[in-house]
Amino acid sequence: MTEPVSVAMGQGSSCWGCYQSLVDIHLRLADVLPKLDIKFWACVADFKHKDLESYPDGSIAVGFYEGVARTEEDLHLLKTMRKKCKTLIAFGSCSCFGGIPGLANFYDIEDALKVKFKDNKTVSGGQVPTENVPPFEPVIRPNSDYVDFDIYLPGCPPTSDLIFTAVSALLEGKEIELPPYAVCHYCNREKKETPIPEILRPYEGVADPDRCLLEQGYVCLGSATWGLCEGQCVNRGATCRGCFGPVPPISQDQGAAGVGMLGTYAPIEPDKILEKCKDPLGMFWRFSYPSSHLGRIRIRREEAKTK
Amino acid sequence: MTEAAQETKTTSEDWEPKIVAFCCNWCSYAGADLAGTSRIQYPPNARIIRVNCTGRIDPEFILAALDMGADGVLVSGCHPGDCHYTSGNLKMRARWALIKRAVEQAGIDPRRIRLQWASASEAQIFADGVTLLTEQVRKLGPLRGQWR
Ligand code: SF4
Ligand code: SF4
Ligand code: SF4
Ligand code: FES
Repeated sequence: MTEPVSVAMGQGSSCWGCYQSLVDIHLRLADVLPKLDIKFWACVADFKHKDLESYPDGSIAVGFYEGVARTEEDLHLLKTMRKKCKTLIAFGSCSCFGGIPGLANFYDIEDALKVKFKDNKTVSGGQVPTENVPPFEPVIRPNSDYVDFDIYLPGCPPTSDLIFTAVSALLEGKEIELPPYAVCHYCNREKKETPIPEILRPYEGVADPDRCLLEQGYVCLGSATWGLCEGQCVNRGATCRGCFGPVPPISQDQGAAGVGMLGTYAPIEPDKILEKCKDPLGMFWRFSYPSSHLGRIRIRREEAKTK
Repeated sequence: MTEAAQETKTTSEDWEPKIVAFCCNWCSYAGADLAGTSRIQYPPNARIIRVNCTGRIDPEFILAALDMGADGVLVSGCHPGDCHYTSGNLKMRARWALIKRAVEQAGIDPRRIRLQWASASEAQIFADGVTLLTEQVRKLGPLRGQWR
């Protein structure tokens, strides 16, 4: 048997869904685990930061970083991971684009702290904790502003199949092949390129199971989204909400692409659109706000406050 | 949601609003041309980019312009019903509704962006639109670095 590959698993602010998805490769773990030499994985075993810090720079073959840098500790871990790992993977859409935690940038940090701690409906006399916890970063910047990644593996979370394929390739020392197609490419629904007279919310009407959801009026972001999930939602009856981020090149603005596509299909009166899309920023930029154009402008604005 | 970018208190003397104006070839670009040959006065702040149709304007163009340093964006095309490609402007109008609201949600004053219809003969309407947006943006101040 060949030497196990050294890996480190880092976690910033996130929901652990991506690592859950890794663990969900289930029985195949039995093939994978013996080939891994786990150097750091604080969320499954008692590793400390100093353990990771003690390895020589560049001595770990592969690092996964899940989540965003919401706290100073997250940021420190992200930078340490970059130093210690030869190949660093942005693991999941949080890590690639800012993802769900990046939605916090809809608010400034003061408002966010109010909602979470001070005026939290479930506590009285809420305080922002300051002891034994790391301080917050004023705004969530995309991780790629802080470090360079070698591989982006998006998804909220990346599917277990995708993770298995990626990890297997890494173990064999091969390049990870990520097909550049949109979700629509994998969608089995029939598309006729017909304009729609109105937009429907998911709870309205009954969708034809064989026809494109967008063409039936449902807001489906399949065309603006990288199809590494192979269309798992759209092939099971739900619209794509865009969780794998933009189609390559992933520096594209996914929300803008989604808005563009909806306009193409629904050239209807503005009021009729806004009545059904009350929150376009949350609808089209849900997974990629910090790395989008609008998100960038917002980040500059928040940072200007702290200077 | 925090307030949209507030009006700036201090605007440096020599600052001039940078406006990117996307004009469709068949109506508004011709309208802009006519404004020029008719010697209609309007502020020189707009950098006009000719596109074949407003339907060709990817929403990313507008957002990227703001991200890259424009203080305002104008989109000018044929009147609804008059698009050279039938419905390009209706697509733009639909996208615009979403873009405008998203811009506002992101904390940018929506008065920085303007969608207008101006035909090839409506040189004055085109020029008035540029003037209106430029003055609106001038009041708001530069998009960058004015948020303290
Ligand atoms: S990408 Fe999604 S699943 Fe993964 S940590 Fe972030 S929120 Fe959780
Ligand atoms: S828009 Fe959605 S439903 Fe339509 S083809 Fe693409 S993925 Fe399928
Ligand atoms: S279909 Fe869309 S929402 Fe569903 S997993 Fe794929 S990218 Fe995510
Ligand atoms: S050609 Fe003028 S808007 Fe389409």
